[in-house]
Amino acid sequence: MNRLLDAHCEQILQEYRDHLPEFQKQALAIQHTLRTTLDKAGIIVASIESRVKTEDSLAGKLELKGAKYKSLADITDIVGLRVITYYSEDVDKVASAVDRLFDIDWENSVDKRKLLEIDTFGYLSLHYICTKKGFEYRFEIQMRTILQHAWANMNHDTGYKSGVEIPTYYRRSLSRMAGLLELVDEEFSRIRVELADYRRKVQALVASGNLDDAPLDLETYRSFLDMEPFDRLNRNIAGINQAEIQPVSLLPYLEVFQFLECKTLGDVDRLIKECSDGAFQLASYQMALTDLDIISSSVGPQNLCIAYILKRGGGSVGIKRMFDILNGPSDSHEMLAEFLLEQAKDLPFMNEKSHGTH
Amino acid sequence: MEVFIEKENNVTTARFVGRLDTPASQEVSKSVEPILEDPSGTIVLDCKDMEYISSSGLRIFLTIRKAAASKGGKVIVKDINNDIRQVFMMTGFLNLFEIQ
Repeated sequence: MNRLLDAHCEQILQEYRDHLPEFQKQALAIQHTLRTTLDKAGIIVASIESRVKTEDSLAGKLELKGAKYKSLADITDIVGLRVITYYSEDVDKVASAVDRLFDIDWENSVDKRKLLEIDTFGYLSLHYICTKKGFEYRFEIQMRTILQHAWANMNHDTGYKSGVEIPTYYRRSLSRMAGLLELVDEEFSRIRVELADYRRKVQALVASGNLDDAPLDLETYRSFLDMEPFDRLNRNIAGINQAEIQPVSLLPYLEVFQFLECKTLGDVDRLIKECSDGAFQLASYQMALTDLDIISSSVGPQNLCIAYILKRGGGSVGIKRMFDILNGPSDSHEMLAEFLLEQAKDLPFMNEKSHGTH
Repeated sequence: MEVFIEKENNVTTARFVGRLDTPASQEVSKSVEPILEDPSGTIVLDCKDMEYISSSGLRIFLTIRKAAASKGGKVIVKDINNDIRQVFMMTGFLNLFEIQ
Protein backbone atom coordinates (compact mmCIF):
# COMPACT_ATOMS: atom_id res chain seq x y z
CA MET A 1 0.00 0.00 0.00
CA ASN A 2 1.30 3.47 -0.90
CA ARG A 3 1.58 5.72 2.12
CA LEU A 4 1.97 9.47 2.09
CA LEU A 5 4.90 9.97 4.43
CA ASP A 6 6.86 13.14 5.09
CA ALA A 7 10.67 13.24 5.01
CA HIS A 8 10.92 12.65 8.77
CA CYS A 9 8.82 9.51 8.60
CA GLU A 10 10.70 8.31 5.50
CA GLN A 11 13.91 8.66 7.52
CA ILE A 12 12.49 6.49 10.30
CA LEU A 13 11.33 3.95 7.74
CA GLN A 14 14.81 3.85 6.18
CA GLU A 15 16.34 3.28 9.61
CA TYR A 16 13.93 0.35 9.97
CA ARG A 17 15.01 -1.11 6.62
CA ASP A 18 18.68 -0.77 7.55
CA HIS A 19 18.18 -2.63 10.82
CA LEU A 20 15.65 -5.24 9.70
CA PRO A 21 18.08 -8.22 9.74
CA GLU A 22 19.11 -7.28 13.27
CA PHE A 23 15.47 -7.03 14.39
CA GLN A 24 14.79 -10.48 12.97
CA LYS A 25 17.85 -11.92 14.66
CA GLN A 26 17.02 -10.33 18.00
CA ALA A 27 13.37 -11.44 17.87
CA LEU A 28 14.50 -15.07 17.55
CA ALA A 29 17.21 -14.66 20.20
CA ILE A 30 14.75 -13.19 22.73
CA GLN A 31 12.24 -15.93 21.93
CA HIS A 32 14.94 -18.55 22.53
CA THR A 33 15.99 -16.92 25.83
CA LEU A 34 12.38 -16.86 27.01
CA ARG A 35 11.77 -20.47 25.97
CA THR A 36 14.92 -21.72 27.73
CA THR A 37 14.21 -19.77 30.92
CA LEU A 38 10.57 -20.84 31.17
CA ASP A 39 11.46 -24.48 30.44
CA LYS A 40 14.11 -24.40 33.13
CA ALA A 41 11.64 -22.89 35.61
CA GLY A 42 9.07 -25.57 34.75
CA ILE A 43 6.54 -22.98 33.55
CA ILE A 44 4.50 -24.66 30.85
CA VAL A 45 3.12 -22.21 28.33
CA ALA A 46 0.89 -22.71 25.31
CA SER A 47 3.17 -20.77 22.98
CA ILE A 48 5.88 -18.16 22.63
CA GLU A 49 5.60 -16.17 19.44
CA SER A 50 7.89 -13.52 18.05
CA ARG A 51 7.46 -11.14 15.14
CA VAL A 52 9.07 -8.10 13.62
CA LYS A 53 6.66 -5.35 12.61
CA THR A 54 6.21 -5.35 8.84
CA GLU A 55 7.27 -2.34 6.83
CA ASP A 56 3.68 -1.74 5.76
CA SER A 57 2.42 -1.83 9.34
CA LEU A 58 5.15 0.56 10.45
CA ALA A 59 4.41 2.89 7.55
CA GLY A 60 0.73 2.87 8.52
CA LYS A 61 1.65 3.77 12.08
CA LEU A 62 3.91 6.58 10.90
CA GLU A 63 1.27 7.90 8.53
CA LEU A 64 -1.17 8.06 11.43
CA LYS A 65 1.04 9.52 14.16
CA GLY A 66 4.54 9.94 12.75
CA ALA A 67 5.09 13.33 14.37
CA LYS A 68 4.90 11.65 17.77
CA TYR A 69 8.13 9.75 17.15
CA LYS A 70 11.52 11.46 17.06
CA SER A 71 13.31 8.35 15.86
CA LEU A 72 12.76 4.62 15.36
CA ALA A 73 13.88 4.03 18.94
CA ASP A 74 10.69 5.75 20.14
CA ILE A 75 8.59 2.98 18.64
CA THR A 76 8.55 0.22 21.22
CA ASP A 77 6.95 -2.64 19.32
CA ILE A 78 9.17 -3.05 16.26
CA VAL A 79 10.18 -6.35 17.83
CA GLY A 80 7.27 -7.96 19.63
CA LEU A 81 6.86 -11.21 21.51
CA ARG A 82 3.81 -12.86 22.92
CA VAL A 83 3.72 -15.50 25.61
CA ILE A 84 0.43 -17.37 25.87
CA THR A 85 -0.13 -19.23 29.13
CA TYR A 86 -2.72 -21.80 30.09
CA TYR A 87 -3.44 -20.35 33.53
CA SER A 88 -3.92 -16.75 34.63
CA GLU A 89 -1.47 -17.04 37.54
CA ASP A 90 1.20 -18.15 35.07
CA VAL A 91 1.00 -14.73 33.41
CA ASP A 92 2.53 -13.30 36.60
CA LYS A 93 5.16 -16.04 36.71
CA VAL A 94 6.16 -15.29 33.13
CA ALA A 95 6.21 -11.58 33.95
CA SER A 96 8.52 -12.27 36.85
CA ALA A 97 10.84 -14.25 34.55
CA VAL A 98 10.79 -11.41 31.99
CA ASP A 99 11.62 -8.92 34.75
CA ARG A 100 14.69 -10.98 35.67
CA LEU A 101 15.85 -11.42 32.09
CA PHE A 102 15.45 -7.88 30.76
CA ASP A 103 15.30 -4.28 31.90
CA ILE A 104 11.70 -3.12 32.01
CA ASP A 105 10.65 0.34 30.97
CA TRP A 106 7.97 0.61 33.63
CA GLU A 107 6.76 3.98 32.48
CA ASN A 108 5.63 2.53 29.17
CA SER A 109 4.64 -0.96 30.32
CA VAL A 110 0.94 -1.58 30.83
CA ASP A 111 -0.99 -4.03 32.92
CA LYS A 112 -4.27 -3.90 31.06
CA ARG A 113 -5.75 -6.26 33.61
CA LYS A 114 -5.76 -3.37 36.07
CA LEU A 115 -7.07 -0.75 33.69
CA LEU A 116 -10.58 -2.05 33.35
CA GLU A 117 -13.33 -0.68 35.59
CA ILE A 118 -14.87 -3.17 37.98
CA ASP A 119 -18.07 -3.31 35.93
CA THR A 120 -16.48 -3.67 32.48
CA PHE A 121 -14.99 -6.65 30.76
CA GLY A 122 -12.55 -6.67 27.90
CA TYR A 123 -8.94 -6.98 26.91
CA LEU A 124 -6.79 -8.40 29.70
CA SER A 125 -3.12 -8.59 28.97
CA LEU A 126 0.19 -7.59 30.42
CA HIS A 127 2.53 -5.63 28.16
CA TYR A 128 6.14 -5.06 29.16
CA ILE A 129 8.41 -2.74 27.22
CA CYS A 130 11.92 -4.12 27.60
CA THR A 131 15.53 -3.49 26.74
CA LYS A 132 18.46 -5.85 26.71
CA LYS A 133 22.21 -5.57 26.50
CA GLY A 134 23.57 -5.52 22.97
CA PHE A 135 20.32 -4.30 21.40
CA GLU A 136 19.73 -0.57 21.24
CA TYR A 137 15.97 -0.75 20.54
CA ARG A 138 13.18 -1.43 22.95
CA PHE A 139 10.89 -4.39 22.36
CA GLU A 140 7.50 -5.44 23.65
CA ILE A 141 6.53 -8.65 25.40
CA GLN A 142 2.81 -9.36 25.75
CA MET A 143 1.68 -11.95 28.22
CA ARG A 144 -1.82 -13.36 28.48
CA THR A 145 -3.78 -16.55 28.93
CA ILE A 146 -4.94 -18.67 26.04
CA LEU A 147 -8.54 -17.59 26.66
CA GLN A 148 -7.58 -13.92 26.78
CA HIS A 149 -5.70 -14.55 23.55
CA ALA A 150 -8.76 -16.16 21.95
CA TRP A 151 -10.92 -13.25 22.98
CA ALA A 152 -8.38 -10.67 21.78
CA ASN A 153 -8.19 -12.38 18.39
CA MET A 154 -11.95 -12.53 18.01
CA ASN A 155 -12.28 -8.94 19.09
CA HIS A 156 -9.54 -7.97 16.67
CA ASP A 157 -11.27 -9.71 13.77
CA THR A 158 -14.69 -8.27 14.46
CA GLY A 159 -13.72 -5.04 16.14
CA TYR A 160 -11.68 -1.97 15.83
CA LYS A 161 -9.52 -2.81 12.83
CA SER A 162 -12.39 -3.74 10.54
CA GLY A 163 -12.82 -0.07 9.65
CA VAL A 164 -16.53 -0.20 10.40
CA GLU A 165 -18.08 1.01 13.60
CA ILE A 166 -19.71 -2.05 15.15
CA PRO A 167 -23.16 -1.76 16.71
CA THR A 168 -23.55 -1.60 20.48
CA TYR A 169 -25.24 -4.98 20.53
CA TYR A 170 -22.11 -6.75 19.19
CA ARG A 171 -19.80 -4.75 21.42
CA ARG A 172 -21.92 -5.80 24.37
CA SER A 173 -21.77 -9.46 23.21
CA LEU A 174 -17.99 -9.33 23.00
CA SER A 175 -17.79 -7.70 26.40
CA ARG A 176 -20.11 -10.36 27.85
CA MET A 177 -17.90 -13.06 26.36
CA ALA A 178 -14.82 -11.45 27.91
CA GLY A 179 -16.54 -11.65 31.29
CA LEU A 180 -17.40 -15.29 30.71
CA LEU A 181 -13.84 -16.17 29.67
CA GLU A 182 -12.47 -14.34 32.71
CA LEU A 183 -14.69 -16.54 34.85
CA VAL A 184 -13.48 -19.67 33.03
CA ASP A 185 -9.85 -18.59 33.52
CA GLU A 186 -10.51 -18.29 37.24
CA GLU A 187 -12.25 -21.67 37.34
CA PHE A 188 -9.32 -23.37 35.60
CA SER A 189 -6.97 -21.86 38.16
CA ARG A 190 -9.19 -22.89 41.05
CA ILE A 191 -9.39 -26.47 39.74
CA ARG A 192 -5.62 -26.58 39.32
CA VAL A 193 -5.06 -25.40 42.88
CA GLU A 194 -7.56 -27.92 44.25
CA LEU A 195 -6.03 -30.75 42.21
CA ALA A 196 -2.56 -29.88 43.47
CA ASP A 197 -3.96 -29.92 47.00
CA TYR A 198 -5.60 -33.32 46.38
CA ARG A 199 -2.34 -34.65 44.98
CA ARG A 200 -0.45 -33.53 48.08
CA LYS A 201 -3.02 -35.17 50.34
CA VAL A 202 -2.80 -38.42 48.38
CA GLN A 203 0.98 -38.38 48.48
CA ALA A 204 0.80 -37.88 52.24
CA LEU A 205 -1.63 -40.80 52.55
CA VAL A 206 0.62 -43.04 50.48
CA ALA A 207 3.71 -41.95 52.39
CA SER A 208 2.03 -42.57 55.75
CA GLY A 209 0.86 -46.00 54.65
CA ASN A 210 -2.85 -45.17 55.05
CA LEU A 211 -3.58 -46.81 51.74
CA ASP A 212 -7.12 -47.77 52.66
CA ASP A 213 -8.02 -44.07 52.85
CA ALA A 214 -6.80 -43.44 49.31
CA PRO A 215 -9.47 -44.20 46.69
CA LEU A 216 -8.08 -45.88 43.61
CA ASP A 217 -7.98 -43.31 40.83
CA LEU A 218 -5.44 -41.92 38.40
CA GLU A 219 -3.95 -39.47 40.89
CA THR A 220 -3.62 -41.91 43.77
CA TYR A 221 -2.35 -44.68 41.50
CA ARG A 222 0.34 -42.38 40.10
CA SER A 223 1.54 -41.61 43.62
CA PHE A 224 1.40 -45.31 44.46
CA LEU A 225 3.61 -46.10 41.45
CA ASP A 226 6.19 -43.65 42.81
CA MET A 227 6.63 -46.15 45.66
CA GLU A 228 7.63 -48.75 43.04
CA PRO A 229 5.24 -51.39 44.41
CA PHE A 230 6.04 -53.95 41.70
CA ASP A 231 9.81 -53.57 41.72
CA ARG A 232 10.57 -56.37 44.14
CA LEU A 233 8.46 -58.85 42.19
CA ASN A 234 9.95 -57.70 38.88
CA ARG A 235 13.47 -58.10 40.25
CA ASN A 236 12.64 -61.60 41.47
CA ILE A 237 11.22 -62.53 38.07
CA ALA A 238 14.22 -61.00 36.28
CA GLY A 239 16.46 -63.08 38.54
CA ILE A 240 15.11 -66.30 37.00
CA ASN A 241 17.15 -65.73 33.83
CA GLN A 242 19.27 -62.77 34.95
CA ALA A 243 17.13 -60.69 32.62
CA GLU A 244 17.30 -56.96 32.09
CA ILE A 245 14.13 -55.08 32.99
CA GLN A 246 12.81 -52.66 30.42
CA PRO A 247 10.86 -49.93 32.24
CA VAL A 248 7.42 -49.22 30.76
CA SER A 249 4.39 -47.26 31.94
CA LEU A 250 2.27 -49.22 34.38
CA LEU A 251 -0.62 -46.77 34.26
CA PRO A 252 -2.66 -49.09 31.96
CA TYR A 253 -2.94 -51.51 34.90
CA LEU A 254 -5.09 -48.99 36.78
CA GLU A 255 -8.07 -50.09 34.69
CA VAL A 256 -7.24 -53.74 35.32
CA PHE A 257 -7.12 -53.20 39.08
CA GLN A 258 -10.44 -51.39 38.85
CA PHE A 259 -11.82 -54.34 36.88
CA LEU A 260 -10.60 -56.57 39.70
CA GLU A 261 -12.76 -54.42 42.00
CA CYS A 262 -9.94 -52.76 43.85
CA LYS A 263 -11.53 -49.67 45.37
CA THR A 264 -8.56 -48.28 47.28
CA LEU A 265 -4.78 -48.39 47.12
CA GLY A 266 -5.06 -50.64 50.16
CA ASP A 267 -6.89 -53.19 48.00
CA VAL A 268 -4.10 -53.09 45.40
CA ASP A 269 -1.47 -53.38 48.10
CA ARG A 270 -3.18 -56.46 49.55
CA LEU A 271 -3.51 -57.97 46.07
CA ILE A 272 0.24 -57.59 45.62
CA LYS A 273 0.97 -59.20 48.98
CA GLU A 274 -1.48 -62.03 48.42
CA CYS A 275 -0.51 -62.89 44.85
CA SER A 276 3.22 -62.18 44.60
CA ASP A 277 4.12 -65.83 45.22
CA GLY A 278 1.67 -66.99 42.58
CA ALA A 279 2.92 -64.39 40.11
CA PHE A 280 6.48 -65.53 40.66
CA GLN A 281 5.56 -69.22 40.33
CA LEU A 282 3.88 -68.48 37.03
CA ALA A 283 6.88 -66.53 35.74
CA SER A 284 9.28 -69.27 36.88
CA TYR A 285 7.26 -71.92 35.10
CA GLN A 286 7.22 -69.85 31.90
CA MET A 287 10.76 -68.51 31.86
CA ALA A 288 12.92 -71.16 33.49
CA LEU A 289 13.22 -73.36 30.42
CA THR A 290 13.81 -70.45 28.05
CA ASP A 291 16.82 -68.22 27.50
CA LEU A 292 14.71 -65.06 27.51
CA ASP A 293 16.80 -62.45 29.26
CA ILE A 294 14.74 -59.35 28.72
CA ILE A 295 11.41 -58.49 30.35
CA SER A 296 9.36 -55.36 30.66
CA SER A 297 8.39 -53.96 34.04
CA SER A 298 4.78 -54.87 33.28
CA VAL A 299 5.52 -58.56 33.83
CA GLY A 300 5.07 -58.17 37.58
CA PRO A 301 1.62 -56.57 37.54
CA GLN A 302 0.54 -58.78 34.64
CA ASN A 303 1.34 -61.99 36.51
CA LEU A 304 -0.12 -60.60 39.74
CA CYS A 305 -3.43 -59.95 38.02
CA ILE A 306 -3.40 -63.38 36.35
CA ALA A 307 -2.70 -65.10 39.66
CA TYR A 308 -5.44 -63.07 41.33
CA ILE A 309 -7.99 -63.84 38.62
CA LEU A 310 -7.19 -67.56 38.70
CA LYS A 311 -7.28 -67.73 42.50
CA ARG A 312 -10.69 -66.07 42.44
CA GLY A 313 -11.98 -68.57 39.89
CA GLY A 314 -12.11 -65.98 37.10
CA GLY A 315 -10.66 -68.56 34.69
CA SER A 316 -9.78 -67.92 31.09
CA VAL A 317 -12.67 -65.47 30.66
CA GLY A 318 -11.20 -63.22 33.35
CA ILE A 319 -7.70 -63.42 31.88
CA LYS A 320 -8.98 -62.68 28.39
CA ARG A 321 -10.80 -59.64 29.77
CA MET A 322 -7.56 -58.45 31.38
CA PHE A 323 -5.68 -58.66 28.07
CA ASP A 324 -8.60 -56.99 26.29
CA ILE A 325 -8.38 -54.07 28.73
CA LEU A 326 -4.64 -53.76 28.27
CA ASN A 327 -4.31 -54.31 24.53
CA GLY A 328 -7.78 -53.81 23.11
CA PRO A 329 -10.18 -56.67 22.34
CA SER A 330 -8.67 -59.55 20.35
CA ASP A 331 -9.63 -63.17 19.73
CA SER A 332 -5.98 -64.12 20.21
CA HIS A 333 -6.32 -63.31 23.91
CA GLU A 334 -8.50 -66.35 24.30
CA MET A 335 -5.61 -68.55 23.20
CA LEU A 336 -3.29 -66.83 25.68
CA ALA A 337 -5.85 -67.21 28.45
CA GLU A 338 -6.23 -70.95 27.77
CA PHE A 339 -2.45 -71.30 27.61
CA LEU A 340 -2.06 -69.59 30.99
CA LEU A 341 -4.85 -71.62 32.55
CA GLU A 342 -3.12 -74.81 31.44
CA GLN A 343 0.25 -73.62 32.79
CA ALA A 344 -1.12 -72.53 36.12
CA LYS A 345 -3.35 -75.46 36.97
CA ASP A 346 -0.67 -77.47 38.81
CA LEU A 347 1.19 -74.54 40.36
CA PRO A 348 1.13 -74.39 44.17
CA PHE A 349 -0.65 -71.02 44.38
CA MET A 350 -3.72 -72.46 42.69
CA ASN A 351 -4.26 -74.76 45.61
CA GLU A 352 -3.73 -72.16 48.32
CA LYS A 353 -6.75 -70.86 50.11
CA SER A 354 -7.72 -67.32 49.15
CA HIS A 355 -7.85 -64.89 52.08
CA GLY A 356 -10.10 -62.29 50.48
CA THR A 357 -8.28 -59.20 49.37
CA HIS A 358 -11.03 -56.63 49.80
CA MET B 1 16.71 -65.09 8.51
CA GLU B 2 15.78 -62.65 5.80
CA VAL B 3 14.25 -59.19 6.11
CA PHE B 4 12.42 -57.51 3.25
CA ILE B 5 11.74 -53.81 3.64
CA GLU B 6 9.23 -51.90 1.57
CA LYS B 7 8.10 -48.33 1.86
CA GLU B 8 4.84 -47.07 0.49
CA ASN B 9 3.69 -43.52 1.26
CA ASN B 10 4.08 -43.16 5.00
CA VAL B 11 4.12 -46.88 5.80
CA THR B 12 7.30 -48.89 6.07
CA THR B 13 6.86 -52.66 6.16
CA ALA B 14 9.60 -55.01 7.32
CA ARG B 15 8.81 -58.64 6.55
CA PHE B 16 10.76 -61.15 8.61
CA VAL B 17 11.25 -64.63 7.19
CA GLY B 18 12.74 -67.42 9.31
CA ARG B 19 14.10 -67.54 12.87
CA LEU B 20 15.02 -64.29 14.58
CA ASP B 21 17.44 -65.92 16.99
CA THR B 22 20.66 -64.64 18.52
CA PRO B 23 22.96 -65.63 15.60
CA ALA B 24 20.61 -63.94 13.12
CA SER B 25 20.09 -60.79 15.18
CA GLN B 26 23.33 -59.04 14.21
CA GLU B 27 22.48 -59.18 10.53
CA VAL B 28 18.86 -58.25 11.18
CA SER B 29 20.02 -55.20 13.18
CA LYS B 30 21.84 -54.01 10.07
CA SER B 31 18.88 -54.81 7.82
CA VAL B 32 16.50 -52.65 9.85
CA GLU B 33 18.84 -49.65 9.98
CA PRO B 34 16.97 -47.87 7.13
CA ILE B 35 13.83 -48.01 9.29
CA LEU B 36 15.65 -46.34 12.17
CA GLU B 37 16.82 -43.52 9.92
CA ASP B 38 13.25 -42.35 9.30
CA PRO B 39 10.90 -43.84 11.89
CA SER B 40 8.33 -41.03 11.82
CA GLY B 41 5.50 -42.82 9.98
CA THR B 42 3.87 -46.18 10.53
CA ILE B 43 6.19 -49.15 10.78
CA VAL B 44 4.69 -52.58 10.20
CA LEU B 45 6.73 -55.53 11.43
CA ASP B 46 5.23 -58.34 9.39
CA CYS B 47 5.88 -61.58 11.25
CA LYS B 48 3.73 -63.91 9.16
CA ASP B 49 6.79 -65.93 8.14
CA MET B 50 8.74 -65.53 11.36
CA GLU B 51 9.14 -68.87 13.09
CA TYR B 52 10.85 -67.87 16.32
CA ILE B 53 12.02 -64.83 18.26
CA SER B 54 14.74 -64.70 20.91
CA SER B 55 15.64 -61.99 23.41
CA SER B 56 17.94 -60.47 20.80
CA GLY B 57 15.00 -60.25 18.44
CA LEU B 58 12.86 -58.62 21.11
CA ARG B 59 15.63 -56.05 21.63
CA ILE B 60 15.57 -55.21 17.92
CA PHE B 61 11.79 -54.71 18.05
CA LEU B 62 12.26 -52.55 21.15
CA THR B 63 14.88 -50.41 19.42
CA ILE B 64 12.47 -49.83 16.53
CA ARG B 65 9.70 -48.96 18.97
CA LYS B 66 11.89 -46.44 20.81
CA ALA B 67 13.02 -44.82 17.57
CA ALA B 68 9.43 -44.55 16.35
CA ALA B 69 8.20 -43.14 19.67
CA SER B 70 10.88 -40.45 19.62
CA LYS B 71 9.74 -39.26 16.18
CA GLY B 72 6.01 -39.61 16.73
CA GLY B 73 5.78 -42.78 14.63
CA LYS B 74 3.97 -45.98 15.52
CA VAL B 75 4.84 -49.64 15.28
CA ILE B 76 2.43 -52.40 14.39
CA VAL B 77 3.42 -56.03 14.85
CA LYS B 78 1.43 -58.11 12.41
CA ASP B 79 0.54 -61.78 12.14
CA ILE B 80 2.66 -63.29 14.90
CA ASN B 81 2.20 -67.00 15.45
CA ASN B 82 0.97 -68.36 18.77
CA ASP B 83 4.45 -69.32 20.04
CA ILE B 84 5.77 -65.81 19.45
CA ARG B 85 2.64 -64.30 20.97
CA GLN B 86 3.33 -66.35 24.10
CA VAL B 87 6.90 -65.03 24.19
CA PHE B 88 5.55 -61.48 23.95
CA MET B 89 3.15 -62.24 26.79
CA MET B 90 5.69 -63.96 29.07
CA THR B 91 8.14 -61.07 28.74
CA GLY B 92 5.53 -58.35 29.20
CA PHE B 93 6.06 -57.12 25.64
CA LEU B 94 2.46 -57.71 24.62
CA ASN B 95 1.19 -54.26 25.51
CA LEU B 96 4.30 -52.49 24.22
CA PHE B 97 3.15 -52.90 20.63
CA GLU B 98 -0.03 -52.67 18.66
CA ILE B 99 -0.42 -56.29 17.65
CA GLN B 100 -2.66 -57.15 14.72
